[in-house]
Amino acid sequence: MQTQTVKMVITGPFNSGKTQFVGAISEIDVVATERKISSEAERVKDQTTVAMDFGRITVDDDLVLYLFGTPGQRRFDFMWEILAEGMLGFVVLVDSARPETFREARQILETFRAYAPTPYVVAANKQDMEDAWALDDLRIALKLEEGVKMLPCVAKEKETVKNVLLELLYSILEEMEEE
Amino acid sequence: MRGNLKDFSPTQILNLVSLAKKTGMLAIDRKDVKANLAFKEGKLVFVAVGDADGTLASVLQRSGRITKEQAAALAKRAQQTGDKQLGLLLIQKGYVSQAEIIQSIKKHALAAVNQFAAWKEGLFSFEPGQQPGDERITVPLDLENIIVQIARVQKLDEQLEEEIPSLDIHLKFTERPQVKMKELQLNKDEWRVINFIKPENTIRMIAKSCNMSDKQIRRVVGSLREAGLVELVQIRKREKLSDEEKSKKVALVSRLINHFQSMPAD
Ligand SMILES: Nc1nc2c(ncn2[C@@H]2O[C@H](COP(=O)(O)OP(=O)(O)O)[C@@H](O)[C@H]2O)c(=O)[nH]1
Ligand SMILES: [Mg+2]
Repeated sequence: MQTQTVKMVITGPFNSGKTQFVGAISEIDVVATERKISSEAERVKDQTTVAMDFGRITVDDDLVLYLFGTPGQRRFDFMWEILAEGMLGFVVLVDSARPETFREARQILETFRAYAPTPYVVAANKQDMEDAWALDDLRIALKLEEGVKMLPCVAKEKETVKNVLLELLYSILEEMEEE
Repeated sequence: MRGNLKDFSPTQILNLVSLAKKTGMLAIDRKDVKANLAFKEGKLVFVAVGDADGTLASVLQRSGRITKEQAAALAKRAQQTGDKQLGLLLIQKGYVSQAEIIQSIKKHALAAVNQFAAWKEGLFSFEPGQQPGDERITVPLDLENIIVQIARVQKLDEQLEEEIPSLDIHLKFTERPQVKMKELQLNKDEWRVINFIKPENTIRMIAKSCNMSDKQIRRVVGSLREAGLVELVQIRKREKLSDEEKSKKVALVSRLINHFQSMPAD
């Protein structure tokens, strides 16, 4: 029997923790092409993903889940639309400690939502940081509608990553039951 | 200097004129409308866009100081006397003050240059040295400020395009609006849009009903949203799954859930 593959997309602003997130749960090393960056504004860290993060989770012999992290920097990359096609759902990662990126996170969410009518959740990442915003405040800052799930996350900890993906799966199931 | 606005944008032209402190007349020819902008030493001194021809009669009418009929009569008169003489006459007779005339002309010039700034194409040519006729009332306006303002609005439009990338999305009132409708000072466009907010209407449909361009509707929706009055809702055009496909998908998702639930913690 042929192996079935499904995919989820992990998106979010630059430096929000996408590579970390995919890496925390993938059974293979994340295949991300990192390259030195030059843009002054984005010299927060000195490397950025120019290809994309790619993680794999084998459920069993005939079912594999792929996680794709969206490539950084260029928000309206043509790759986004391709990535969005056929996905089961998507996660929007937000760096809870960097309010200057909230607006972009919202834009990214809006863009992905326009690409594909799939369920999604928002993960408030870096909740371990001292100046991380509280979830309730983040909801308001991101103008999240009621009913959109927002989950605490520390991408360095597999347990929280697992929880985010589980909640997304629950949403997908709930949506199918709604019909 | 001639070209097409497609290749050299209105803001670029205004910048050039301002920086090089040019004197002359910029003429733009589009299929539907023509425009003329006169500059003196890098300042905007006169502008006519389509019907807003910059004559005193039209300027006063547009600012609501005189009626259409009065404007028609004054326009006739101006053909003999010229705008300067006409203006003097109106001031002497106490119809308008000099300040009101200048204010009206400034307002007209700003509106007209903003209109021109939004043009994406059209043939233009710049005739150095050429100025409006002597009979015209000219009010020099600094271009720097105008350019900054235009850039600000354009920047805003770009941001809105990112915030509302698709117009095929629905609008609804927020459950607990942070502001009360009655206390809100809404403008005419905002009220019109609010009238069309229904679960079944997309932003695009509302724009059509209100006869608004994509840019206009984005601005209105953007400000309504900023005020916490409305939110965007995605009505899922879900793939129509057959019962069989559906139970397959449910099984698949359940398997993934089981897998994650039984995944050992590190
Ligand atoms: N403290 C903390 N740091 C994180 C967390 N997630 C990611 N980081 C760090 O944030 C930086 C950016 O993460 P990365 O995954 O490369 O972001 P990407 O640009 O979205 O792929 C890296 O230095 C990560 O180690 C987190 O949950 N907590
Ligand atoms: Mg990365």
